[in-house]
Amino acid sequence: MSLLEVEDLRVAFGASVAVDGVSFSVDEGKVVGLVGESGCGKSVTSLAVMGLLPKGRGRRARQPVQAAVSEPVDGGLKTAAAAPQAIPASGGRGGRGGADVQGRAVFDGVDLLSLAPAAMRRRRGKDLAMVFQDPLSSLNPVVPIGRQITEVLERHRGLKGDKASKEAALLLDRVGIPDPYRRLREYPHQLSGGMRQRVLIAIAVACAPRLLIADEPTTALDVTIQAQILELLRDLVETEGTALLMITHDLGVVAGMCDEVNVLYSGRVVESAPVRELFRKPTHPYTIGLLGSIPRLDLPIHEPLTPIRGSIADVIRWRDGCAFAPRCDRVASPCVDGEPALVGAVHAHRCVMAEEVA
Amino acid sequence: MLRYTVKRLLQLSVALLGLSLLLFAWFKALPGGPENRLLPENATDQQREALRAALGLDEPVWTQYGEFLSRIVRLDFGSSLSSGRPIATELADRLPATVELSLAAMLIAVGLGIPLGYLAAKRRGTWVDFGTVSGSLLGTCIPIFFLAAMLKVVFAQELGWLPTTFRLTAGADFTEVTGLRVFDGLITGEFDIAWDAVKHLILPAIALSSIPLAVIVRITRASVLDVVGEDYVRTADAKGLKPATIRGRHVMRNAMLPIATIIGLLLGSLFAGAVLTESVFAFGGIGSFVYQATTERDYPALMGFILVIAVFYVVINLLVDLSYGLLDPRVRVRK
Repeated sequence: MSLLEVEDLRVAFGASVAVDGVSFSVDEGKVVGLVGESGCGKSVTSLAVMGLLPKGRGRRARQPVQAAVSEPVDGGLKTAAAAPQAIPASGGRGGRGGADVQGRAVFDGVDLLSLAPAAMRRRRGKDLAMVFQDPLSSLNPVVPIGRQITEVLERHRGLKGDKASKEAALLLDRVGIPDPYRRLREYPHQLSGGMRQRVLIAIAVACAPRLLIADEPTTALDVTIQAQILELLRDLVETEGTALLMITHDLGVVAGMCDEVNVLYSGRVVESAPVRELFRKPTHPYTIGLLGSIPRLDLPIHEPLTPIRGSIADVIRWRDGCAFAPRCDRVASPCVDGEPALVGAVHAHRCVMAEEVA
Repeated sequence: MLRYTVKRLLQLSVALLGLSLLLFAWFKALPGGPENRLLPENATDQQREALRAALGLDEPVWTQYGEFLSRIVRLDFGSSLSSGRPIATELADRLPATVELSLAAMLIAVGLGIPLGYLAAKRRGTWVDFGTVSGSLLGTCIPIFFLAAMLKVVFAQELGWLPTTFRLTAGADFTEVTGLRVFDGLITGEFDIAWDAVKHLILPAIALSSIPLAVIVRITRASVLDVVGEDYVRTADAKGLKPATIRGRHVMRNAMLPIATIIGLLLGSLFAGAVLTESVFAFGGIGSFVYQATTERDYPALMGFILVIAVFYVVINLLVDLSYGLLDPRVRVRK
């Protein structure tokens, strides 16, 4: 049993579908990557797991998802998306930007998506915590750093006053911030970008969560700082045995950090494998394309990159065939003939042409 | 913080100097000088000249301005042309009433406006939001004198719940300390007087609060809507904090920045704008004094009034700026 099992997660904002049946799992002490370009649904997936999406109408009155149609090759947890289920196109009044979340996110035996808001609040920040992308805008500009840390300690660990301050200083020290007592009294604008991200990490690990979700934690930082932050994250995960869900578009980060990878495209997992396996033998053309878009040192300098042409579609259209087909070099008639299923157990992919590709 | 304060104070004195110049020039430019007001219509030219000389109006303009400036610095605004009493005294007698009324109105506007604005933002798109926003629109549309008169007719004359006029029941025996009746009643232990003063304040304060209330509701709504979308509010939510903590520490503390500015501006305009409300309720503040001064072309009185209001504005702006320093560390800390 994994620590977190996301099963057939669907998120829609009114008529537009952001996540269309994503399933993956995170085992205790493992680092799992969620990879894809902007708009593929990776951030929305993480926010849905954390219960941080603005609530829409459909969330409480969730219809039971139809049992997944049995797949010939079912990769255990990587259950393929359920039979095409019309996602209600009604934007819904009152929905107003609210998200309609369906599916399950089972954390330690409890489905987080069906928890009452108050019960979810007791877990957030304690059992599962999140590090956000932009460290400046993610810290409150008018509250001292110290208070932003102690408020979590107060809420989930019952620490108050001096005890809380002392613990906060220890946390800052642990994430590598020198002179922590002075920093506690400072405000976010007085810290550098890397420092701020360290503060955010300190806040996230303050209550020793069992699952840490990091949403592009290094995107807004300088390269040298990126390495430090990744090192820090890996260190925390290793010493505490925390599971880490790493959301990124950076395959370098994936190679250096993750045990397992899920590649997302257009709201669905298109390939999922242990990290070595994925880099050794990428199977889905999208994954191959991602790898081809990175400059490589071992190739001649003037060797052109092979970008993926076009850009991700606004509308998710998996039901009529592969959503990647319009951008795929290997597109053939089976690709646009019905939904491709996720096949394979350890190394799963969603490409009907995979055999030909290989 | 000290350097910041000193800097603001210097800027303010420059602003006041500019204002005095403007005011002086404006009064010089007005037609029908004060000598026409003081003398009967059939006065001879010699009589006019004599009076102009007596009032110093024949001196060069810059001498007049120097004289004007040196007098206002000493708070000597001259004597009222109608009553003959020193204007400083007249103003000092009447200011407390206006200050008390304005503060009471602001208390209502802030106390009601911020929660309502927050609620409207939180329930955006619902009938609560719709009701609050249209209510505040109504508040800005109804002329104050009409609202004041309606309140008076309904709650004072018809229902008899509250007194119709004045600041205290006639014949009340009270000790004067600051001139703010409620405050005086409280500090001297004359609680019956304080309560009586409160009852006299309610209707005029409600009437006067209608516009600032409406403005504060709308600013709060907009400001809260801005802030709840910020990343740090999501971070607070990700910490699993209680909604009350998120509201107070993370949403409102940031949303207060624009609200504080607008409160300052509104307070200044309340001092100047209490005229109508005061006259409906015969409240005896600065309003009736200004009204009289305007109709009787009592220039020194008007000048004194404008200067006092200007100083109020400037001081309130200073307070707003300083409160910014308290509310927003980014303003306070200069490294």
